[in-house]
Amino acid sequence: MTDAWKRPLKLAVVGHTNVGKTSLLRTLTRDVGFGEVSHRPSTTRHVEGARLSVDGEPLLDLFDTPGLEDAIALLDYLERLERPGERLDGPARLARFLEGSEARQRFEQEAKVLRQLLASDAGLYVIDAREPVLAKYRDELQVLASCGKPLLPVLNFVSSAQQREPDWREALARLGLHALVRFDSVAPPEDGERRLYESLALLLENSREQLERLIADQQAQRLARQQSAAQLIADLLIDCAACRRSVASEAEQEQQAISELRKAVRQREQRCVEALLKLYAFRPQDAAASDLPLLDGRWGDDLFNPETLKQLGVRVGGGIAAGAAAGAGVDLLVGGLTLGAAALAGAIAGGALQTARSYGSRLLGKIKGQRELTVDDSVLRLLALRQRQLLQALNQRGHAAMDSIQVATPQDKTWREGKLPEALNKARAHPLWSSLNPHSKVNQAERQEQVEVLAQQL
Amino acid sequence: MTELTPLQNLWLSETIRLREEHAGPLDDLEANRVARSAGGDLPTRIQCRARWLAERDGQTRALKHWLQGARLALIVLAVLAVISGAGLAFAALGDGQSPVNVFWALGSLLGLNLILLLSWALGLVFAGEQGAALGRLWLWLSEKLARDANAAQLAPALLLLLQRQKLNRWALGVLVNGLWLLAMLSALVMLLTLMATRRYGFVWETTILGADTFVAMTQALGALPALLGLSVPSVEMIRASGDAALNIESARQAWAAWLVGVLLVYGVLPRLLLALFCRWRWKTGQAALHLDLNLPGYAQLRERLMPTSERLGISDAAPEQLHRVENAASDLQSDGALLVAIELDDQRPWPPQLPKSVNDAGILDSRESRHKLLEQLSRFPPARLAIACDPRRSPDRGSLALIAELARSATATRVWLLQAPPGEALDAERLGDWHVALQQLDLPFADCAPLSWLETGHD
Repeated sequence: MTDAWKRPLKLAVVGHTNVGKTSLLRTLTRDVGFGEVSHRPSTTRHVEGARLSVDGEPLLDLFDTPGLEDAIALLDYLERLERPGERLDGPARLARFLEGSEARQRFEQEAKVLRQLLASDAGLYVIDAREPVLAKYRDELQVLASCGKPLLPVLNFVSSAQQREPDWREALARLGLHALVRFDSVAPPEDGERRLYESLALLLENSREQLERLIADQQAQRLARQQSAAQLIADLLIDCAACRRSVASEAEQEQQAISELRKAVRQREQRCVEALLKLYAFRPQDAAASDLPLLDGRWGDDLFNPETLKQLGVRVGGGIAAGAAAGAGVDLLVGGLTLGAAALAGAIAGGALQTARSYGSRLLGKIKGQRELTVDDSVLRLLALRQRQLLQALNQRGHAAMDSIQVATPQDKTWREGKLPEALNKARAHPLWSSLNPHSKVNQAERQEQVEVLAQQL
Repeated sequence: MTELTPLQNLWLSETIRLREEHAGPLDDLEANRVARSAGGDLPTRIQCRARWLAERDGQTRALKHWLQGARLALIVLAVLAVISGAGLAFAALGDGQSPVNVFWALGSLLGLNLILLLSWALGLVFAGEQGAALGRLWLWLSEKLARDANAAQLAPALLLLLQRQKLNRWALGVLVNGLWLLAMLSALVMLLTLMATRRYGFVWETTILGADTFVAMTQALGALPALLGLSVPSVEMIRASGDAALNIESARQAWAAWLVGVLLVYGVLPRLLLALFCRWRWKTGQAALHLDLNLPGYAQLRERLMPTSERLGISDAAPEQLHRVENAASDLQSDGALLVAIELDDQRPWPPQLPKSVNDAGILDSRESRHKLLEQLSRFPPARLAIACDPRRSPDRGSLALIAELARSATATRVWLLQAPPGEALDAERLGDWHVALQQLDLPFADCAPLSWLETGHD
């Protein structure tokens, strides 16, 4: 930073009561716990601020204000403040009003709004687009306009069927407000924030740079969130694909193992849901996954699948190749097996032995009549689908939304078909990759590589 | 605490990330505070936090131990390389009692080196998994050797970090080629020392090959060293050496120079070049090494370390009580019945069919219409006043104040909460808000038209 930081831009969020000012703030700040939102009028009775920063530098201060409720009477009162033979402009008249006693009594709430707007660089005038354009709203705008600050009307609830956007556009144009933004705080459009800040930049030329930084940062973070989310989902899928349970082939034990596997997968999915909610800064109760359809399980017919066999070969061969590449020859040259070579040879043998042992025990189990239970392909597809749906819902959800997302099972069966991604087939052969298995090693670089490949495909 | 290198910083951050992924979130309030106050961009803050946590929980110490061990191992390997290089030269030249078979000497000096060089290069080119296999080997070793729980995540962390930029192979390349370079240099020095202090005669032997083959081979091998100015034995000299070791000084020196030249060009130089190349790749790759901020573990830290939004708190507190609208019935001389609507939208047909004795005051919306009606009411107060409201609007203080003011100018007032227009439903919560507000005003309300009351004064 060359000189002191530029002062953050101050915005007052103003409007009639019950139009969603606090909701707008929640969505813009991605803070579900900001202020209080309810159906009652005058829920917010104080002025509360929130700050948006980029790279630790504060860029925008937003202030939530009480709703204007008595604008008609206030305008009346303001006009009577003018003494005979006097011509006051808007701010001067407001200054006189704010000094007077009514600013502490009947118009106490309105005075708070006006004081905040006067102290800010601009105002966002929030409109409930379902409301008809009543005289009180016009008077409200007139009172606010007398602050002498730029106002940007924000149409909330535009996705409602009863919205009257054309009426509002016309009325605002008559009042000289031509720039306006549609922004539904419960279901904001993907580029809603960008449009809002761009419109603001038109009104506040001096702050264009700050606002553009904010836009760029929010875009970058949106992308980063999506990528992180894809990794979380890929992690879930790899975990489930690699999961396996060994069970004796008796009906009762099988049933028990299946229900245990199902429970484990279900809990793992819930963990992923919670992680996604956390990533998108929602509360844990904001989404709930419905129960998984009955898992049939998939019997361990993949003991001889190519990937498993390949893995065995790669491990043994890889160990030897690695030994050679590491320059085991350095001490072989000395003629005898030095300590280093012995360790290395031991390691190679150990690596191979480990593989052979795990493979062998599975083979042994097969001979002894045990079976291996894995998660069915269609369940993996379903998990992927459900998480993708949730992700889509989260991308479109505003932080003012109060209802809970239901992650349901799609009704049509198309998701049952199709080929699984290569990464999942690989994971089938690596029980160590699943955190649902005992003795898992989820930090293997190859696993991480496959997670990234899968995340790209999502 | 000594300064950590950038690589070590990244390594610690990755270790802490794995640890948190493995064992759940750490208690990081203070670490976050320190990182926030240190400022900088997000990676800097994450690293600062990781440093603080690692220092507290002993990972930094474990890392230092680990590095110490690695350095020690490197020294041991280097000593081994020097000894084996020297041994190589000894083995190649022997004790000087019998003449040295040049091609046997060459084979033992270069053979293993070239074979392993080839296998390393092949591994580099073909086996993408080779780095991973080596990594696994190393992981397995370090798992067996790690006595310290704090160090458990160190090795996987480094591996993951390097794997992301595919740096493992170059790091290993530096190590392998560097050690071989050392071995070759040691062999060269030993070779020169031996040849300086002992007298060796050089021969070549064959049973089935002709002398011409050896001449050609010797000259071919010597071509490159010759470019560097090292002499190659002449054809006669080579032929003569086939029978017995020549006991002339020039022949001995020529053969010795040839041997040194071949060792230099085919033993030392390739390893030197490869070591330099790997080192260059390692250094450039290291500069490009960064934290993958898209990893969920780091993405979650963003809000804690560099909040994009924070609450500023309440700057203008709420009043203890909102201004209350009072209602009182008028005791003026009143007469007649009046129906008035407030803030209806233009989509609703208004007024309804009215009995003759009930007057319609229209719809109140603007300031002017309010003034007009209130003026009128104060001159001719009605006995009964019905106020129609649309409960889809919110019961704000302005509307309630108007209702109260109207009610004050009439002897009796009722509020008519209109039904929703066809096809729409009223919001139950908002209707409830109206009920509460009107109850506070002590005004009777109903959702059906109070026309008969207006007309007759009773229901």
